[in-house]
Amino acid sequence: MKNSAWLLIVFLLTMVSSPYLFAQSKTGLQVIESVYNRPNGSDMSADLTMTLINARGDQRVRKIKQFSKEFGKDEKKIMFFISPADVKNTSFMNWSYGDAGKDDDQWIYLPALKKTKRISSDSKSDYFMGSDFTYDDLGDRLPSEDNHKILKEEKVQDELCYVIESKSKNSGYMYSKTITWVVKDKWVAVKKEFYDEEGKLLKILTVEEYKTINNFLIVTKTLIKNIQTNHATEMKLENIIIDGGISNDKFTERTMTKGL
Amino acid sequence: MSKFLIKLLHYPRTVLIVLLVLTVVFFAKMITNSRMETDLDEYMPKDHPAFSYSDQAEEWFNIKDGIIIAVENKAGIYNQQTLGTVRDLTKKFQGMEGIEKKDVTSLYTADNIVGTEEGLDVKAFYTVPPEEQEELTALQNRVRSNDMAFGRLVSEDETVTLIIAAINDDVFSQEFYREILKTAEAYESESIQIHVAGRPIVEGTMALLGPADMKKMVPIVIAVIILVLYLSLRSARSTLLTMGVVLLSTVWAFGLMSFFSIPIYAVSTMIPVMLIAIGVADGIHLYSHLQHFTDRNPQATKLEAVTDMIREMWKPVVMTSVTTAVGFVSLLTSQVYPIKYFGLFTAFGVLGAMVFSLVLIPAGIMVFNLPRRKNKKESKSAFHIPSGIAAGIIKYRSATLFVTIAVIVFALIGIQKVWINSSFLDKFERDSEIVLTDAFINQHFGGTSTLNLVLDSKENDAFKSPEVLSLVYTMQNSVTDSLHAVGNTFSLTNYIARMNKVMHADDEAFNSIPDDQDLIAQYLLLYEMSGDPENLWKVVDYDFRKMNVNFQLKSDNSKTINTAIAALEEYRDDFDKLGITMNYAGSGYKGLVFTELILEGQIMSLILSLFIIIGLLGLMFKSIKIGLIGSVPIVITAVIGFGVMGWMNIPLNTTTALLSSIAVGIGIDFAVHFLEQYKLHSVSGDKLLTAQRTMDHSGIAILLNAVVVISGFLVLLFSVFPPNRELGSLVSLNMFVSFIGTLTIMLIMLNKSNVYFNKSKEQ
Repeated sequence: MKNSAWLLIVFLLTMVSSPYLFAQSKTGLQVIESVYNRPNGSDMSADLTMTLINARGDQRVRKIKQFSKEFGKDEKKIMFFISPADVKNTSFMNWSYGDAGKDDDQWIYLPALKKTKRISSDSKSDYFMGSDFTYDDLGDRLPSEDNHKILKEEKVQDELCYVIESKSKNSGYMYSKTITWVVKDKWVAVKKEFYDEEGKLLKILTVEEYKTINNFLIVTKTLIKNIQTNHATEMKLENIIIDGGISNDKFTERTMTKGL
Repeated sequence: MSKFLIKLLHYPRTVLIVLLVLTVVFFAKMITNSRMETDLDEYMPKDHPAFSYSDQAEEWFNIKDGIIIAVENKAGIYNQQTLGTVRDLTKKFQGMEGIEKKDVTSLYTADNIVGTEEGLDVKAFYTVPPEEQEELTALQNRVRSNDMAFGRLVSEDETVTLIIAAINDDVFSQEFYREILKTAEAYESESIQIHVAGRPIVEGTMALLGPADMKKMVPIVIAVIILVLYLSLRSARSTLLTMGVVLLSTVWAFGLMSFFSIPIYAVSTMIPVMLIAIGVADGIHLYSHLQHFTDRNPQATKLEAVTDMIREMWKPVVMTSVTTAVGFVSLLTSQVYPIKYFGLFTAFGVLGAMVFSLVLIPAGIMVFNLPRRKNKKESKSAFHIPSGIAAGIIKYRSATLFVTIAVIVFALIGIQKVWINSSFLDKFERDSEIVLTDAFINQHFGGTSTLNLVLDSKENDAFKSPEVLSLVYTMQNSVTDSLHAVGNTFSLTNYIARMNKVMHADDEAFNSIPDDQDLIAQYLLLYEMSGDPENLWKVVDYDFRKMNVNFQLKSDNSKTINTAIAALEEYRDDFDKLGITMNYAGSGYKGLVFTELILEGQIMSLILSLFIIIGLLGLMFKSIKIGLIGSVPIVITAVIGFGVMGWMNIPLNTTTALLSSIAVGIGIDFAVHFLEQYKLHSVSGDKLLTAQRTMDHSGIAILLNAVVVISGFLVLLFSVFPPNRELGSLVSLNMFVSFIGTLTIMLIMLNKSNVYFNKSKEQ
């Protein structure tokens, strides 16, 4: 096909879809990409408090010191358990990659065993530290892995949001779809619903707090609740330092064994 | 009282219409408002410590009864077709209404904790059924090397694999069962057989089969009773009126139950059984009296005859009924609500039968005239037989006493053999589909029944302690190894031992509990991070203060459960020293406690009612001696009844235990009517003649009563449901023993004791 023919098709398509294009400044994919790519500094350290709550309301609290750093498209993260005491200094490292299809690398160091072990992850549906979050839920999922569609706009927590429906391009993903509420112009996903393979509502994630730190919008408190099991996890970040300059050596197996 | 009843004789039509209208009202209530209660949990007293603990534990650990679907391929399960079937069936059940997705376990959903060169992984055994032989062999090896799956989800001969779908107690229904069977059957093929078993199936089938069989058998029982009644009374009217009494009392009892919105429990189906056995008695005695009167006074009008009947008979009828009713009311001491209701409404039915006997039968006779009997002559000549028997019994009383004592001793030995059985499976035919499937699964796997041992500590993280976990692990292994009845066990220790092993390069020497608490905690953290932590909360609670140890048992019968519990109890002291208490949970255990509770209540009420009856009879006959004599047939009946159960290996369960109530009800009927006649005839002053007359009058009526009920209940021997057969034979036996006991031993005791005769002399 000649170039001119291509141009014609593009022109016609633009003509046909122009009312849509002009009425909405962004497509679903663009919205989700804006969230994914929202700048949040090149490194971060913080104290993470993870509270696990079961259906009866029993709670387990884990305190974790975490460090993360961007390495181009990739992100490396290392975490040290502070409490409970019996898992103190247990450390966990995760390298996630910006290339689609490349699985995360994960290591765990058990001080009682004095050994670092790799945890291979078959899929990204693995749950993060026994919580209700999968790595994908925590923002690891690439926007290009799903098809996105803007359903509507509505107000959540007094902020106007895009409501985006995302469906995996590959069949066999653990969610049949997710629906995300993204605050316009801030590109923070304040609420997300996850539907299981049968199309039933599985989990609801709610961002309870986000702050501006070093001019970056950082989500500091999140609650995710599994509707089917009534299990919930709250994650709270404190003492956040952005761009404090964490050295690259921090993210090695050797650091894991040293503890904090 | 008799004046009022006699007055009523002048308005027989009004009486009949009023009764009819009331019955229609009760019947309408019964039809529109009655509800079967099939959820067995509803039967149990919720506030009893054993039940409330078990209920709590069931909630803590999501303990539910599992439907077991066994997928069998005689050529082995490691092929694409069988593994595909397992996957498809698992998904089908996960999507079914009433089954929660996470409650379905199979090789497809199970976590495989594996050690890799570099670390640990928790993954699925397979997601897509492999096609290549190489991959299939790899899967086979994965399962073989994981004893959390091998022998649990896949049989050791690798021809059977299980899908377990845990359901809530209230989910099971006929439709649900059909849907499960239909779903399972749809996947059967030439090479793949599918078997369905598990407690919910057994419980559900029993709850449906028992009443269904009764529905079929009861009309035949009633037909036979009507037939025999007709042959005895030789009058269609008398037969109909006598049966009318039974029918009305049953309808009123169930109508009243509906009125109070009390559902029909399985034991409630015993109410008509009791009322049939007890309710015909009054009618038979009334007609028997009427017969004697008209024989002696052929010229009497029907009003005279009925008036005499009421005057002479109202007392024994009221006495027997009130005493029987009190006997049933004593069941209120039971802790089990369905039993309380059973006692209360049977008592109401018995009192109903009393009213109908005294109102309906006379009114019926007034409206439809006296019964026309055929073969009048025969009855007159028949006097010689009963009086001959009476004379014989008294003459050979030593022999009679000796035989009675021998039988009682024999029965007492039998009683020691009586055992309690709360098993549901044992209620089915040995060659029934449900029993065979259960045996099949038991043969290939640890067992179809589960006992949960719940360990409870006061301290957080108690179940991360190596000392505690090692003890649990030792207990699990030793009980499983030493007891054939315990096929398998599973708890938190199995996770930890498995992880310890794979973290040490699959070295079997590390298939144990490590002795470092931190390591245990870190393993658990690792598992949570790699696997589905939900599985962990089925064996331990959030704070690691409570632990659930599963034992798979080969049978659900009480002997098996008790054997397992006895073996576990040996560890109680050891756990006690560690500050840990032991409790049990699960439906098998609850069933056991429940049955024991019923039995305890039954024995309590039996003893209580015996005292009440002795007191009441003593009051009615103004002699405590008579009270004691009158209770003898009841005691003999109960003792022999239980003795036969011991010898015949019929275990005590909720149904058979209740049968001792029949002994009370029938025993009183027989004793009171007999005593009343004896008292009447004692005016003659001749002891032998009194005995003979009583035998002729009351004895014949008692014989008729026994024959009618026995022949009716023997019909149940043809039932397809074994518990109903037991019911039939035991009711018949009770009836027979009461009959023999009253006419022999009670007669002898009356004769020996000189009651009435001493008194007349003194006066």
